[in-house]
Amino acid sequence: MTSSSRIPTPIVEIKPQFDEESLYEVHKKVHPRAVSGIFATWRWALVWITQLVFYGVCWLPWNGRQAVLFDLVERKFYIFGLIFWPQDVFFLAILLIISAYSLFLFTAVGGRLWCGYACPQTVYTEIFTWIEQRIEGERNARIKLDAAPMSPRKFWLRSTKYGAWTLLSLWTGFTFVGYFTPVKTLWVSTWSFSLGPWETFWMFFYGAFTYLFAGHMREQVCKHMCPYARFQGVMFDPDTLTITYDTERGEPRGARKKGVDPKAIARGDCVDCGICVQVCPTGIDIREGLQYECIGCAACIDACDQVMEKMNYPKGLIRYSTEHAIEQHWGWKDILGHIVRPRVVIYSLILGAICVAFVWGIATKPVLRVDVIRDRATLAREVEDGLIENVYRLHVINVSETPHRYAISVTGLQGIDLAGERIIEVPAAGTKSISVQVRAPSESGNKGSNQVYFDVKALADEKISVHEKASFLRP
Amino acid sequence: MLKVLLVLWPSFVVAGIAEGVFFTVIDPQELYLFGQPVHFSRLATYSIGFLGFWVVCAASSLMTWFLQLGPDDLNRRRNDAG
Repeated sequence: MTSSSRIPTPIVEIKPQFDEESLYEVHKKVHPRAVSGIFATWRWALVWITQLVFYGVCWLPWNGRQAVLFDLVERKFYIFGLIFWPQDVFFLAILLIISAYSLFLFTAVGGRLWCGYACPQTVYTEIFTWIEQRIEGERNARIKLDAAPMSPRKFWLRSTKYGAWTLLSLWTGFTFVGYFTPVKTLWVSTWSFSLGPWETFWMFFYGAFTYLFAGHMREQVCKHMCPYARFQGVMFDPDTLTITYDTERGEPRGARKKGVDPKAIARGDCVDCGICVQVCPTGIDIREGLQYECIGCAACIDACDQVMEKMNYPKGLIRYSTEHAIEQHWGWKDILGHIVRPRVVIYSLILGAICVAFVWGIATKPVLRVDVIRDRATLAREVEDGLIENVYRLHVINVSETPHRYAISVTGLQGIDLAGERIIEVPAAGTKSISVQVRAPSESGNKGSNQVYFDVKALADEKISVHEKASFLRP
Repeated sequence: MLKVLLVLWPSFVVAGIAEGVFFTVIDPQELYLFGQPVHFSRLATYSIGFLGFWVVCAASSLMTWFLQLGPDDLNRRRNDAG
């Protein structure tokens, strides 16, 4: 069949399936209005806690070193009293699983608690918006300033804002690098302009990301870039707490004078002031129902409660509630009663089990590791007095924070013994490799491979010991 | 802009994961570059490694973006040209 004999098929136009694309390009700038209230207080508390930890912890000393340091150059992670080596990657994996399961559990119970209160994107956006508000004024002033043509005043306000953002971003970048290179040395070399090229690069890289994400992109990161935002819905069920507008109570919405009884004018409680939309950092209208853009920050709850208070209506037109609770008019008692459900129980059990395993693993983490590697160059050779000699490389890793002297011995064959070094000294959190010659009489054991054991014991503490298998070859 | 992000952002995330896994398992000082042991500092190797992973992942994302273009995009382009 030739192509000319084919009937040309009409080209069917396929419309793009989502409008997000255009939305992103001509995105409308969101100017969130500042809000106060119980949830705003919680959010600020978490900003303080997380940032005190982030900016502060790298400066804490511990045993004459930095308390928390992910020393990439030495390939050792220090976290207070614990030292993690590349061999401990297992713990990192478990830690990631624990984080994932905690996220699942929190989300199943309380919705997007992480997004609303603790996610760095939320936290930095909060800080950057605060700076913006201090410099450029409240929401209306900012909208006006945005629309106004460039003037000396606008130029001054903008450059002050960008300057303040830049300083904070640089400080954040510096702190970030301070977790990977000792922060005190970093501080000194910053001011003596002797930073390494890569340290400088990462400082500016992280700083630039902070600036871009928290200063300019804000809610767009949550809407377009965050993978978690896309799949968090999977963890939701009808008993998950979400920020909910009580449609039954609120509708039909409409403006009215203060103190008017909604029943008298055949309206719902919503006065349609639009403040819930103005405070929303992602610019959505919660009254249209739960949307994936909603990061669960509860700013609209705080805002609406204030309005309800002014109107002398009961608070909670927008509140933390669940799908079931809204449908069946449940109070808090019923909502709390439905927290325990199979999904939550299963998440909790798995999480609990992994946490126990993690703590147990950390508590029983060996403080001494020994790798025995046969010397590949010489398999076995005969030495004086009819003895057979095998050579091994012992790689001794002292995971503890005190230097140790270890005694090496070998067992498993009649008359087997070490020739040469029997004591090895390894510095704190250090490694040492030594080559050891093991000799055994030619008549002991079988021809071929024989199992022998190396014992490495700390002289200062008998409990620190390793019993390691190896094979001894007899020709 | 969204296209740029769709290419650069997922590749950044995956490069971060790849970097973590790769350098946990492999010590940069054990790597060989054109038959010679790597003589850069570890920090430099990690950094170059990350940027390298990023470039590779971005190439993959770019190709995904390119191949997922619908007939509509491609036809329109040709019509525009002609």
